[in-house]
Amino acid sequence: MEIIVCLKQVVDPELPLREFVIDPATNRQVREGRPLVLSTYDEHALEVALQLKDRSGAKVTALTLAPRATIGDAVRLALAMGADEAVVVDDPRSPDLPGAVKARILAAAIRRIGRSDLVVCGCESADWVERVVAPLLAEELGAACVTFASRIESADGALVVRRQSEDGFHLIEARLPAVLSITSDETNRPRLPKVKDIIAAKRKPLQILPAADLATAAGETTADGVEVRSVAAPERTARCELLPGDPAEQAALLAQRLRELKLL
Amino acid sequence: MPGVLVIATAPEGTFSRSNLELVGGARALDRVLGAGVSAALLGGGGPLGAAIETLHQHGVPTVYCVDHPALGIGQADAFLVAAEAVARQAKPDLLLVGGDTVGREVAPRLAHRLGAALVTDCVELAVDAGAVVARRQVYGGRALAMHVVHRRPAVLSVKPRSLDAAEPAPVAGRVVDVTVAIDLAALPTRVREVQTEKAELGLEDAQTVVGGGRGLGGPDGFKILQELAQALGGAVGSSRPPADAGWVPISWQIGQTGKTVRPALYVAVGISGATQHVAGMAGSRTIVAINRDPEAPIFSVAHLGIVGDYREVVPALIAKVRELKGR
Amino acid sequence: MAVWLSDDHRMIGATVREFAARELLPIAADLDHTSRFPAEVIAKAAELGLLGLTVPEAYGGPGLDHVAYVVAHEELARASAGFQTIVTVNTSLVCEPILRWGTEEQKRRYLPDLVSGRRLGCYCLTEPAAGSDAMALRTTATLRDGIWFLSGTKIFVTNGAEADLCLVYARSEDAPGARGISAFLVEKSFSGVKVGKVEKKLGIKCSSTTELIFDGCRVPAENLLGGRGEGGRIALATLDGGRIGIAAQALGIARACLEEATAYAQQRQQFGQPIANFQAVRWGLADMATRLDAARLLTYRAAALRSAGRPCTQEAAMAKLFASETAMWAAHRAVQIFGGYGYTQEYPVERYFRDAKITEIYEGTSEIQRLVISRHLLAEA
Repeated sequence: MEIIVCLKQVVDPELPLREFVIDPATNRQVREGRPLVLSTYDEHALEVALQLKDRSGAKVTALTLAPRATIGDAVRLALAMGADEAVVVDDPRSPDLPGAVKARILAAAIRRIGRSDLVVCGCESADWVERVVAPLLAEELGAACVTFASRIESADGALVVRRQSEDGFHLIEARLPAVLSITSDETNRPRLPKVKDIIAAKRKPLQILPAADLATAAGETTADGVEVRSVAAPERTARCELLPGDPAEQAALLAQRLRELKLL
Repeated sequence: MPGVLVIATAPEGTFSRSNLELVGGARALDRVLGAGVSAALLGGGGPLGAAIETLHQHGVPTVYCVDHPALGIGQADAFLVAAEAVARQAKPDLLLVGGDTVGREVAPRLAHRLGAALVTDCVELAVDAGAVVARRQVYGGRALAMHVVHRRPAVLSVKPRSLDAAEPAPVAGRVVDVTVAIDLAALPTRVREVQTEKAELGLEDAQTVVGGGRGLGGPDGFKILQELAQALGGAVGSSRPPADAGWVPISWQIGQTGKTVRPALYVAVGISGATQHVAGMAGSRTIVAINRDPEAPIFSVAHLGIVGDYREVVPALIAKVRELKGR
Repeated sequence: MAVWLSDDHRMIGATVREFAARELLPIAADLDHTSRFPAEVIAKAAELGLLGLTVPEAYGGPGLDHVAYVVAHEELARASAGFQTIVTVNTSLVCEPILRWGTEEQKRRYLPDLVSGRRLGCYCLTEPAAGSDAMALRTTATLRDGIWFLSGTKIFVTNGAEADLCLVYARSEDAPGARGISAFLVEKSFSGVKVGKVEKKLGIKCSSTTELIFDGCRVPAENLLGGRGEGGRIALATLDGGRIGIAAQALGIARACLEEATAYAQQRQQFGQPIANFQAVRWGLADMATRLDAARLLTYRAAALRSAGRPCTQEAAMAKLFASETAMWAAHRAVQIFGGYGYTQEYPVERYFRDAKITEIYEGTSEIQRLVISRHLLAEA
C-alpha cells in the first residue's frame, strides 16, 4: 500500500503568548525567529500511517508544501519517525495560502508522485484551522473521504475507519483510494524517533519539487472571492482580575465574586 | 429560490438544536439581505413531519425535503449528494451548514461541487455593504479572522453553539419534496456502526462547567473537579490532553475537536489555554482560570484568575462554596 | 547555547526531552518515594537507543559524539537524576572501557546487549578501605589453570542489584598501587558472585547502590579487559568519561532547580506581589542561570575534546567539579526560594537538593577533582 502523509510546519503553538504577534500586512502570525514544528494533528496522521506500515508493510511518503528555505527539523523528524521518503513542494507563497489553494497544489503533487492508495492529513492545522484540505483533496483526487478519523481498524483493499463524533464514534467503511483526516486518540500518540533514526534520516531521499513545475488544475477554488480582511485578538471588554493572597484567601475571594455575579 | 438556504439534517428521526442555530443565523442575515430564507431538510429512517413543522414555526416558509433511508447518522456521502441536489434545484445565494462531524465533511465538498466560495466554522455572521462577513477562530482560539465573501454562491459552515437559536416566528409554510437517487452500496463510504458514549450530565447544556487539563497531572485530579462541579451544580469536561491520554472519556473533551460549551460559568483548572480548547469555551459568560503558570494563555481569556496550585485552591474553594450555599 | 550545538544535537535533545516528559516526569517523585527501579522505562529508553549513546553502529549503538551525550543526559537528569545515574554508569563506565580496551570478541559479546537493555552494566571499583584512594584496593585475582578467581568486597556499586555485567577491578599482580590492578568483565551468572547489602540513600533512590561480594568468583581468562596490570590505567581513563556524564547529571539537576524556582517565584505572592519582584529572589535566579550556563560550557568543552580523541582529564575534572557544585548550590537556593513549601514533598526541589549532593561525591569527590586539576596546573601529573 502506498501512503502519502501531508505535513504542515507551523509556528510552535505552545509558545508563550507574548511571542504571538499578527502581522497586519499579511494578516497572519509572524513566523520569523520562531521555532517551527509539525502541526499537532499532522503528527498523529503520520503515526497512523506508520502503524499501518508496521502492520502491513506499506510505503510512507511525507509530503510538505513549504518554501524551501524553511524546511527544517519537521521534515527530518517525519523521516526519523519512519517515513520512507519526503517530498517538499517548494512554494514561497505557501505559508499564507488558503487551504483550498494548498489542496489543489497538493493534489497536483500527489498525481506527480504517482500511485497512492491512501492520503492522510491532520484534521486541522494548528494555526489557520480551516479543516478543508482533506475534504478538498478527496474531491480533487476523486477519492473517498473520511474526516476526524482516529484509527484505521483494518485495511484489506478497503478501509474500516473509526471516525470521532460528538458523543462517541462511527465505524466507516471506505473504498480505496481514500483521503483521511486524522484526529488524536490514545492509540495514535506520535512515536518518538530512535536516536539512530534521527541521524539516519539525513540519508533518506528528500525530493524538492518547485510548485511552478506542477500541473496544478486551473479554475476557481472555494477560496476565490473570500477576502481575509483582518486577524485580531478578540475584543476583551474586561481584563483578567488576578485574585491575590494564599490559596485560602484566593478561594474565598473567588467564592465571593461568584456570589456577587449571582453564579452561586 | 435566492436568499439563504439552511441545510438542516434529521438523520433517523433526530433534529438537533443546531439546526435552529442555523435558522437564527439565516434570518439575521436575511434581515439585511432580504432575499428570503429557506431550508433543506435532509433525513431518513424516521418521520420528518415534526421537523418540518418546527422549521415553519421558526420562520422558514419553504422546506425542500429529502426523505431517503440512506440519510442515516454519519452518512456524510449521502448527505452530500442530497445537499447538492437541493442546492442545484433551489439555487440559493448562501448555504448554511452545521459544523458537526458530518457537516464539516460535507461543507467543503459541497462548495467544491457547486463551484461556490467557502468559509468554515464561522462563529459570527453579518452583512456589510452587501457582502457577507464571517468571523472564525484561528491560532488555537487566540485570534478571530474576519473574512469578507464577495462571491455567490457561498457555503458557510457554522460552529455549533456560536449563533443564537431562532426565536419562534410561525409562518405559513410549504414543502417541496425533492427526490434524490442515492445508492448506499455505490457510495465511497458507508457507516457500519454508530457508538455513543453517554456524556456526563449533558455537558453542552450545563450552566456551569468545570474543565480539567494536563495540569491536573493524571486522572485522579478529576475527582476533586467532580466535587467542585457538584458543589457548583455543574458538569465536568476536559481539554484535549486528558482525553488523549485516556484519563477521561473522549466525550468530555471541549474544544475545536470536541464539544463547544457556553455556560454561564466556566472554571478552567490546570488548562493552559494554549491550544484549541479555548475555541470550545470562549463564549462562556464568566471564565475563571486556576493555573500554576502565570504566563498561561488561559489568563488572557479568563475574567477571574488564580495563579496557584489547584490541589490547594480547589479544596478551599469547594469548602467556601458549600459554606455560602448553605446559608 | 544554540551556537554550540548542531542540528543533530538539537533534535536529539528535543526527542529525549519529550521522552523524559512522557515517561519520567510523571513518575519521578514516586520513584524517589518508593526507591523503585524503573525497569519499564529503562526498556523504553533502550528501544530509542538511549542506554549506549556513544556506542558505534557496528555494535548496535547510535554512535553519537559526547556533546550529544551530554545534551541527552541533561534532559534525562532534569526529569529524574536517579534514572540518569543508571544510564550513565551503563554507558560511560561499562560500554566505553569495553570499546576502548576490549578485544573484538568482547565487544561483540557484550556491547549489543548493553545497548539493547538485555544486559545492564555496573562498575566495581570502590571498597570499604579504598574510596578516594581507589588504587589501594584489595580484591584479589588469582590465575589457576586458565581461570581467574576473584575474592573481595566491592561497595557503592550503582546498578549492583540489577546489573548482569560487572566491570571489576582486582589486584592480579604482585605490585602495589595502580600497576598491580587488572580489570575483569564478570557476568553475574558466574559462580562466586553475589549482591550483598543494598544501601538506603539520601537521594538518586531509584538507582540501586549495593555491595558486591566475590568469593572465589570464577572468571574465564578471556574476560580480562585489557592487559594484566593495566587496570589502574583503565580505571582512571574511564573516570574521565564518567565525570562528563556526572557533569551532565548536575546540569540537569541545576536546570530543574532554575525552572521550578522561576515558575514558583512568579506564582507565589507575599506582601501583595509575586516574590519574583524581590531583588533577593531575582538575583538568586540570575546567579543560577549564569552558573548553569558556565557549567554547560565547561561540560561541552570536555565532551568535545573527548569526541575528538584528545586528552580531557583536566577539562573533565573542571566540568564535574563546577557542575556538581553548581547543582548543589542551585538546589540550596531553590529550596530557599520555595521557603517552607520547598521543605515538603509537595514540590520537587527537596528531591533535587538530595539528588544533587551525590554529584559532589561519586566518580571522584570534589577534593579529588581539585587534586587532578592542580596536578595538571603544576605539571605533576
